[in-house]
Amino acid sequence: MLKIFSIAAAAAVVAASSVSAEGFPERPINLIAPFNAGGGTDLLLRGLAPHFAEAIGSDAYVSNMAGGSGTVAASALQAQRPDGYQLAYMSVTVSTIQPQIKNVPYGIDSWTPICSIAASPTMLFVSGDSPYQNMDDVVAAVKAAPGELVYGSSGPGAITHLTMVSAFAGLGIIDDMKHLPFQGSGPAIKELTAGNIQFFGDTELLVERGDFRPLVVFNDARVENFPNVPTATEVGIEAPLNELYLWGGLFAPAGLEPEVTAKLEAACAAAVVSEGFQEFAANSGTVVNYRGAEEFNDFYRAQYDANAALIEAAGL
Amino acid sequence: MLSSLPEAVAILLSLEGLLVLVVGTILGIILGAMPGIGSTVAVAIVLPFTLTMSQAPAIILLLAVYAGSVYGGSIAAILINTPGTPQSAATCLDGYPMAQRGEAGLALGWATVASVIGGLVSAVVLIFAAPQLAAFALEFGPIETFALILLGMTCIVSVSTGSVVKGLMAGMIGIFLSTVGGDPILGEMRFTFGNWQLFAGFNLLAVVIGVFALSEVFMRASTKQSTVSELVSFNGIVLPSLSMWKGRFKNLAKSVAIGNVIGVLPGTGAATAAFVSYAEGRRSSPNGDGFGKGEPDGIVASEAANNAVTGGALVPTMALGIPGDAITAVMLATLTLHGITPGPKLVEDNPVLIATIFSGFFVINLLLLPLGMLLSRVAAPILRVREAFMMTAIVILCAVGIYFVRGNVFDLLVMGGAGFIGFLLRRQGFPMAPLVIGMVLGPTLELTLRQGLILTDGNFLAFFTGHPIALVLGITAVAALLLPVVRSLQKRGTA
Amino acid sequence: MQRFVSERILVQVGLLIVAVALFASTFGQSFSSSDLAQSPMFFPRIILVLWIGLGVISLIQSFKSDEKTRQIASWPRIGIVLVAALIYTNLIGSEGFFIPSVGFAVISLLAFGIRNPILVLLFAVLVPGSLVLLFNHTLGMPLPTSRFSYFF
Repeated sequence: MLKIFSIAAAAAVVAASSVSAEGFPERPINLIAPFNAGGGTDLLLRGLAPHFAEAIGSDAYVSNMAGGSGTVAASALQAQRPDGYQLAYMSVTVSTIQPQIKNVPYGIDSWTPICSIAASPTMLFVSGDSPYQNMDDVVAAVKAAPGELVYGSSGPGAITHLTMVSAFAGLGIIDDMKHLPFQGSGPAIKELTAGNIQFFGDTELLVERGDFRPLVVFNDARVENFPNVPTATEVGIEAPLNELYLWGGLFAPAGLEPEVTAKLEAACAAAVVSEGFQEFAANSGTVVNYRGAEEFNDFYRAQYDANAALIEAAGL
Repeated sequence: MLSSLPEAVAILLSLEGLLVLVVGTILGIILGAMPGIGSTVAVAIVLPFTLTMSQAPAIILLLAVYAGSVYGGSIAAILINTPGTPQSAATCLDGYPMAQRGEAGLALGWATVASVIGGLVSAVVLIFAAPQLAAFALEFGPIETFALILLGMTCIVSVSTGSVVKGLMAGMIGIFLSTVGGDPILGEMRFTFGNWQLFAGFNLLAVVIGVFALSEVFMRASTKQSTVSELVSFNGIVLPSLSMWKGRFKNLAKSVAIGNVIGVLPGTGAATAAFVSYAEGRRSSPNGDGFGKGEPDGIVASEAANNAVTGGALVPTMALGIPGDAITAVMLATLTLHGITPGPKLVEDNPVLIATIFSGFFVINLLLLPLGMLLSRVAAPILRVREAFMMTAIVILCAVGIYFVRGNVFDLLVMGGAGFIGFLLRRQGFPMAPLVIGMVLGPTLELTLRQGLILTDGNFLAFFTGHPIALVLGITAVAALLLPVVRSLQKRGTA
Repeated sequence: MQRFVSERILVQVGLLIVAVALFASTFGQSFSSSDLAQSPMFFPRIILVLWIGLGVISLIQSFKSDEKTRQIASWPRIGIVLVAALIYTNLIGSEGFFIPSVGFAVISLLAFGIRNPILVLLFAVLVPGSLVLLFNHTLGMPLPTSRFSYFF
């Protein structure tokens, strides 16, 4: 009995290890959200999963592995076999910021980028009753009262923090301001409304959530919904701090076979253009930004280097 | 919004509405009542289904499952001393001793009635006073929150059954555990010793389930087995009669109020409310001396407060677009998905939807009573299985529950370790509730302390001179700490 | 002598050693902030000092009191259940949920005194099996699977 079992087990191990790109995929694909169920990333993946599954011809399920600003999931995935059955949706912070500020077991070369899915520029905003109408007002106020004005963030190293750093380091006033980090954007926005912090930055989606006045957008051109808000370049913020996007895409561990990468990339492309996902994106305010594997790889590596300057400026 | 109530009721009474209400509540109660499986997992299970539903039913389903699971958690806490969530940890303190006395049905009856009343009142408050309460929440900046959390910490003394020194020590261990991982202000790593799994710190639920549920299994394995096969004699919920409520209304009202107020403040939550209310009940209730030994007022204080939080947490969510806790964050995200932008204009722009959500919340709380009684009758035979089967199933269910919290097998190791250490400490008379309080409140205590120091340029005294709310809360906290000492000195003096 | 090596004293001394060691470790690292109150170790140090102080008081109280720790009724039973549970939580990551659960259930049921082999096997296979069926194959949120197959 035991012998039969061990032979069967050995056979199964052999079968499992001889993954052929030919037959891929022969079992369900796991899409990992490095954040909690019900968060923005999680819902995006859940919106994508059925269309991705249809395109690749196998099941795809979303699992959540939250913790450490996404680094726990990325660290765990990095140690997995690159078989194409485990993919994570990683954002700019998880893939390019965190590995440069924390001693995580992954770095720039740990991944096979599959495709980028979404990207939206960040904005700096103040509450609707704030006296500041533009960035000149802000610079003047900070210079008039150094060490008085406070900017918030959803946590050290988060995209909200980097938005603030880009703006205030880019204008040379960051040393005269205070940084107040919160646990997540919700509490920070509450304090912005209450007046305990004066500035906050996040994507367009969040700006629309309340009575807020955006002052600058970190994009290469003005955005459609806020034609009166100047770009960072226009207010005098120089590269590389003048553009900041919250982008994200699917990554597999490094060393994925090219045939498997190609299949995943094709499925991702088909899923992103699918009617269902487009409708989902329109509803949820997701700004779709698709890049194929090769293009995404170049973009990701360029971002990794560019963000080093941002980290330096943030003092992280 | 009130004018939209008829439309809202029509939605709730439609086939889909009723189905979602009843099925969601039943599912929530069952999942919550399973040891080790709490609200987080319950919500994760129904989340994929909500994506395919229309907005109102989707939110109602989430609310029903959530409210049901919080209530269900008290069932496991009372009957087998294994809370599935931190917020039912305070319910164990008196619920389980009552169950051991053979009054399990009555203990659950108190819990049920208190839960339902807490939930219903908070629903009414939500419907009529959401904007006012939201304005109140804005008064609570980091410094006021710090003072509130400080007051919450004094509960450790009240829930320290046995030795206060050991209770305080368990509290410190809990706070310390919460500091492991990323620093909240600078992001630097603390006490991780190079292990990336610890970058996210110790998971609260893994520790709670470890020190309560798993260590309970170990405790039972170490003591003499009962010759009777039944774990606890239980034949279904027994509602307390009206005469039994005599002298307890004040405690109930106070607990509901505490739950409502704390629920409104983002970042505090149901566990804080339950503990603060428990401590206040112990101080002011005429039956305060019996707390911790199976006193119904203890169950009422904790259950009324933690259910009242649910409605309170919806206030900032709906009025400001700011989630009050993890579950309301999921609700907001679900709304976004349906093309609705949460924010100050949410109520104005979607009166029918909001009226449906609010009245649905009211109905869910009404449903808890009959569904709870029905399910407890169905479940009673399960408790008659032999201890061996129950204990084995608890360990397996805890593993399932903790795995799904973060999808991380490392949390299972944390749960195992916490179970072992909890077992060692419990044998030496260390109470575990303070450890949970420490771990729940620790992160907010540190964050708001340091935020406050940033705002005041390092002047701790300015916390109280410039902030009247913080001053009042701070004085209350000091008084809460000193009063028991003064009283015991007085007693000694007269004796 | 007895009162100096009791389980009670050992646990308390252990807690104290852990706290002192953690406190010592806070001085080994260097952090970027020079501001005392904003040092990442500011808050933990306060807590650890309180922990150590309370630990000393508690230890002294224990020396003075004659309270006895509750007797262990059966060392083999608690030993087996404890070790089995710890191994079980460790194995799920590498061996999947189903196989370790069956193993743990068999050991735990035997340790708790169930001697009917059919009952033990039935429970040990059906409980984890139905959980795998429910989560992996009905709800689409899989528990960890074994190295042999992604079905369990």
